[in-house]
Amino acid sequence: MPEPSTKLPTGLGVIFWVSASWIVLLVLLALFADVLPIRDPEALGIITREVEPFERPGWNAWFGSDGQGKDLFANVVHGARPALVLGLTVTLLAASIGTVLGVLAGYFRGRVDTIVMAGTDVALAFPAIVLLLAVRASLGNSMWVFIFIFTVLGIAPYTRIVRGATLGLAEREFVKAARAMGASGFRIITREILPNVVLSVLSFAFIGFALVIAAEGSLAFIGLSLDRTTWGQLIDDGRPELVDHAYLTLIPASVMFITILAFNFVGDGVGGAAAIREVSTVRRHRVGPLPDAHNVSGASSGDQRLVLDVRELTTDLVTGRGVVHAVDNVSFQVRAGEALALVGESGCGKTMMIRSILGTFPVAGVDRSGRIDVDGTDMLRADDNTRLRTLGIDIGTIPQNPLTALNPVRRIDAQIMEPMTLHGGLTAAEARARALDLLEQVGIPDPTSRLRSYPHQLSGGMRQRVMIALALANNPRLVLADEPTTALDVTVQDQIMRLLTDLRAGSDMAMVLVTHDLAVVEGFTDRIAVMYAGQIVETGPTARVLADPQHQYTRALIRSIPDLRLDPHSRLATIPGAPPSLLDPPPGCRFAARCPVADSRCRSELPSVTEVGDDHSYTCWHPAETTVEVARGR
Amino acid sequence: MAGSGTAHLRDGETVLSVQNLVMEFRSRRNRTVQAVSDVSFDLTPGETLGLVGESGCGKTTIGQATMQLETPTAGTVMFNGRDLTRLSGAPLRRARRGMQMIFQDPVSSLNPRRRVHDLVRENLDIWPSDLHTDGDLLVSEALEAVGIDAAASADRHAHEFSGGQCQRICIARALVNARPAKVAWGRGALSDEPSVLILDEPVSALDVSVQAQILNLLEDLKDGYGLSMVFISHDLAVVKNISDRIMVMYLGKVCEVAPSSELYDMPAHPYTRALLASIPRHGLDLPPAAELIHGEPPSPLDPPSGCRFRTRCPNATERCTNEEPELRAVRGDHFVACHHPHTPVPVNVTGIPT
Repeated sequence: MPEPSTKLPTGLGVIFWVSASWIVLLVLLALFADVLPIRDPEALGIITREVEPFERPGWNAWFGSDGQGKDLFANVVHGARPALVLGLTVTLLAASIGTVLGVLAGYFRGRVDTIVMAGTDVALAFPAIVLLLAVRASLGNSMWVFIFIFTVLGIAPYTRIVRGATLGLAEREFVKAARAMGASGFRIITREILPNVVLSVLSFAFIGFALVIAAEGSLAFIGLSLDRTTWGQLIDDGRPELVDHAYLTLIPASVMFITILAFNFVGDGVGGAAAIREVSTVRRHRVGPLPDAHNVSGASSGDQRLVLDVRELTTDLVTGRGVVHAVDNVSFQVRAGEALALVGESGCGKTMMIRSILGTFPVAGVDRSGRIDVDGTDMLRADDNTRLRTLGIDIGTIPQNPLTALNPVRRIDAQIMEPMTLHGGLTAAEARARALDLLEQVGIPDPTSRLRSYPHQLSGGMRQRVMIALALANNPRLVLADEPTTALDVTVQDQIMRLLTDLRAGSDMAMVLVTHDLAVVEGFTDRIAVMYAGQIVETGPTARVLADPQHQYTRALIRSIPDLRLDPHSRLATIPGAPPSLLDPPPGCRFAARCPVADSRCRSELPSVTEVGDDHSYTCWHPAETTVEVARGR
Repeated sequence: MAGSGTAHLRDGETVLSVQNLVMEFRSRRNRTVQAVSDVSFDLTPGETLGLVGESGCGKTTIGQATMQLETPTAGTVMFNGRDLTRLSGAPLRRARRGMQMIFQDPVSSLNPRRRVHDLVRENLDIWPSDLHTDGDLLVSEALEAVGIDAAASADRHAHEFSGGQCQRICIARALVNARPAKVAWGRGALSDEPSVLILDEPVSALDVSVQAQILNLLEDLKDGYGLSMVFISHDLAVVKNISDRIMVMYLGKVCEVAPSSELYDMPAHPYTRALLASIPRHGLDLPPAAELIHGEPPSPLDPPSGCRFRTRCPNATERCTNEEPELRAVRGDHFVACHHPHTPVPVNVTGIPT
């Protein structure tokens, strides 16, 4: 088993902290420039005799001096003051005003929105230099003038960001819930919406801050400077000496550049923290050693060919909270033509099992060991080309939500034909003919015109039929269906399950159906594997497991299927509690904490696999006696 | 299915009465989506009404229009003696306090940036003048009542809980200013306490095993707090157990209204039968679903004339195209809007024969 990683990322990364330190250092220097042992920036070296004119950077004058012997270091430090004051004031003003306008526009929409958005459009279209020249000509070049102009121009981006975020949040259920509780508009804005947009605003504020500093520098460079020494002015002053004394320009320019970069990095860090809370930044994909040889050569066990052969598979995910043991020592086989149901509650590892086969994970750090053979290809160790070929041709997948799985801006024909031309080696004409054929097979009426439609023009059931057609495009040997009917209506669910059964009839295509609902597997699958907390706890022929479940968890799952024969208001059977965290699964039987018959042995000792004949096995210390009351059917 | 008609409304005391509700949305190119077309229902004290239908039947819109989260195009919503459709702003919010809503996605129903204690306290903070006792105590009581450890969870955020736990927290939030009903119904003046809970697919996002936990909890709370409930769901299997009465909807219209057990034993509307036959392992005496319903649901932009289910109905005739069926009684408290109901219409018809 691979050694789980114990070193977890700090989250924000080194660049963020270096950038933040630079900003803090800058702020401290600007604040205490008068008390620190720094020369007077206006003192002329030719008079004080402390600094030579055009002294090169060195121990005496760190950043050198200009033609009059003014200390450049002192000037850069003092120049940080107007940069920071201007940046901070403008950012605070523009961000506050922009946030208020954006929230109002996004929340109330209608006329408020029209007016606010028209205002931002005007502000963005306004020629900034003309405004600056005009205001400067009449009001002078004081700090206030610059603050006023930059604020007026800076409001629009904040308004747009906040309006967009608010539009999205206003549709969220927690905002609807607040409205349903009778919260006033003001309360909803301040309690529900603002806290959720504040981090995006903050993130942009750092970038806006940098923009202000850069803008001031650019303006000084063309002579539109403030009434005091700024970095922009220092760069401008050094310009005539660029050839002989390049440091006079390069040093203030570098300081300004690093500062702008630092603000951007901090802004990105804050923005990232808003979006990502738990995903780690560890990039790793490790595969453990092969399991024992006697287990591996099982590719031809039994009378029929194994399409999927999973042996001692363990998948660990490295997340920000620790290592999640998503799949723990799981083995199962699916023969050609067979349908296997993978059943269990959310968080039991079903989806991670499927992702382990596909090699797609929600986090970047993954350790897998064991073996997954798909039609003879070792999916953990094969090279990328072989693996992708197997994924493209031998495996078809049917997702839970067909709407998000289809590309909304591409027509159905393009999406169905792509795998056929990409992996199947068909020409466009052949692929189109096959696509038509497939749509007909999956029961889509008028397939010729449906091929030309976009996903949103189809109903949920039709979209899922398209997904099935897509999955079947290359005649896969194995279809992986992850809760294919959960997002669909009841009548459609029945149709889709029947369709999947009909399509497989007579072919040797195998299927793995992942579902949390035991009720849908009967009649549609041959075998069941019940998963709990990352392990398979019972497996056997579907009818047999449903009629005579051995593991206490399987029994509990079957009992929780709604029973239409019960009188209204009768007490429903439940499984108390919830599955254990896979960060630190309990020793012994993982179901023990929720099991009605668990004893001390269950809590300490992992149950061994018990075979009850006919391919039926379970891992439970207290299997059910032969039960009849849970076996019911139509 | 027309379902226009009010034959199924009752004369006695009702806590909520929605009449002739119409909800239309403007779509692009000036077309009108007919989401809800002339639907009526009522709720008696302590009753649970199951509102069942598939996507596009208008069940969610009815919930939102009843709460006035969407303003109905036409119709009345009588709650505690007041027509909510005639109110707006603060008077509406005040009049509606006795009605609370639970949404489908429990995790996104809780503001991710707020802590559980504050989330549950929200209802008390919105109406501080109503508060006669210690608010924090009420929050703890509400959390304990739904099976959440108040002390351990108060400072945590929604994402630290499972879907089932989040739904419990949402229920606690809805009931935080409710006092357990020691007295029977008829408290009259206490209109500010929640008495009606509108649940929009409250268990659809949850595992089957957790669904049962929440349904049991709702059943307990209903008795404990003396609530009436409108339980909206697409799944007839879930609704049967919790409902006293069930209303089946299709494409903005009512198909059938019946007491819970009767609807399952003697479904009269072809669509109800199709819905029941689609439930896996239903164990009822019904032909396969494929024989009871075919084709695709029509667009609510252009619903079929006459009975809206006729395009998918195996029993449809010419009459179904020309004439919209009215809701009428097939027996006692069992109403159906169909020209060719499965159950023969008995002699004691109280509705209007068409």
